[in-house]
Amino acid sequence: MIQMFHVEKTWPGEQPSLQDINLRVEKGEFVFLTGPSGAGKSTLLKLVFAAEMPTAGQVLVGGHNVGRMRASGIPYLRRNVGVVFQDFKLLPHRTVAENVAFTLEVLGTPRREVADKVQRMLQRVGLSHKANALPPQLSGGEQQRVVIARALVNEPTILLADEPTGNLDPALTLDIMDLLRDVNIRGTTVLVATHDHSLLERYRSRVIRLEKGRVVSDGTGPP
Amino acid sequence: MSPLARLRLFLSTALRGMRQSPYVHAVAVLTLGLALYAVGLALGVVRWVDALSGALGGEVELTVYLAEGHGQAQAEALAELALRRSPGASAAVVPPGEAMARLGRQLGDLGAALEDLPGEPLPWSVEVRIPPEGRSPGALAALASELRGLPAVSGVDYAEQAVTRLEGLRRALRFGGLLALLLVTGVTVVVVSATLQLAIYARREEIEIQKLVGATDAFVKAPFLVEGGLQGLLGAGLASAALWATGRLATPRAAELLAFLVGPSGLPRLDEPAVLLQLCAAGVCVGLLGSFVAVGRFLRV
Repeated sequence: MIQMFHVEKTWPGEQPSLQDINLRVEKGEFVFLTGPSGAGKSTLLKLVFAAEMPTAGQVLVGGHNVGRMRASGIPYLRRNVGVVFQDFKLLPHRTVAENVAFTLEVLGTPRREVADKVQRMLQRVGLSHKANALPPQLSGGEQQRVVIARALVNEPTILLADEPTGNLDPALTLDIMDLLRDVNIRGTTVLVATHDHSLLERYRSRVIRLEKGRVVSDGTGPP
Repeated sequence: MSPLARLRLFLSTALRGMRQSPYVHAVAVLTLGLALYAVGLALGVVRWVDALSGALGGEVELTVYLAEGHGQAQAEALAELALRRSPGASAAVVPPGEAMARLGRQLGDLGAALEDLPGEPLPWSVEVRIPPEGRSPGALAALASELRGLPAVSGVDYAEQAVTRLEGLRRALRFGGLLALLLVTGVTVVVVSATLQLAIYARREEIEIQKLVGATDAFVKAPFLVEGGLQGLLGAGLASAALWATGRLATPRAAELLAFLVGPSGLPRLDEPAVLLQLCAAGVCVGLLGSFVAVGRFLRV
């Protein structure tokens, strides 16, 4: 599903953010990306959804070479990759349902299908009773659930989560992680970037550890 | 999603954007409206001058007076020459007796005094009526000059000054109008693009999320283009309303003032449907141009 061959990412005048990254994530896997701040976790995720291009090497997502992709092809790649951020990125003046429907609106889904899909997705993340609420009226955990619903409503094959629990208390953190696990069980490939060690111990999955832009370990359980 | 549904979506997004910052958009629409009103007014005045010129042209007649000692034969030869030089014109030979009778009629009661004049004081003359296509000051002056140069001709009269002035006025209005149009277009494009720059800034989060979930560049840009077009259309609507009101107030008074020149046909309306349609098209074009500039310069997707 995701393959990286000798990937390097360097910004002009700076040390490389990623160096000689080689990895392969299979379809349906749940993978933690971990490492200290500045290790290159977010940069690696950005390469997967083509927010950044590799300086060297090859990044393959669903068989498409991201580095060789034309700019006009990137939106179509992103439709297959859901993204969840620590800072939510919700539209504050739109209701929960409208925020989730936003993805479908962009993809040109017919109106009659939108309401149905949004309702089902909100039910899945346990927020159908908050469909008409505005994001500022929700707790951090609920907001993150809305983001996950928005990322999944068009049924992408990959879900990327960059520190999805970074702003949440421990109870809500587990809540969100259980939800991501559930998404993975239903067949979506999930990559979660986190520096929360407790999560790695609780959810025993494949863990790729990055340090100074390099993969230093790749295995199951906490490194 | 059907193209119609997509257009509806872009339209609703654009309208939402306009509602988010109503004052900024109101200023842009007002500026566009004023600019288009000025252009519409200039167009109207040019058409008034055209109408005046046309009406005056109906009176344009060259009168060629023969020199002493020349009679009917020379007058007829001159008439033929004038007809050859100005195709489509009509020419009539006026004998001194008829000229005298006309003068007598014009003088009314005083006309009787003419009867005491000895001989025939008025010369033979030729009246040449010029068709509209030959009424330009240049063509008229050339014909008059050629006729004046003939030995049989003592003088040529026509409404030289009036024709020249009207033509000059029309040319100045057209040139001034074109300059004003360019200036106004430039200014409104800047105003519209500045408004949309603010709109792009206000909606930066929305744009970021759109890109994140797979929106194409065209999808992101389209609502801003629609917004510019809408601003243009609203501005044109405002200008049309102002032109209609001005037309209602000014046209009857101007027509009344100039009735002796334009006659019963009156002056053309300022708010003719064709002009309003042109204004709408111009408004949309200027709005679109402004949004293209803004999207090109400020929307990095």
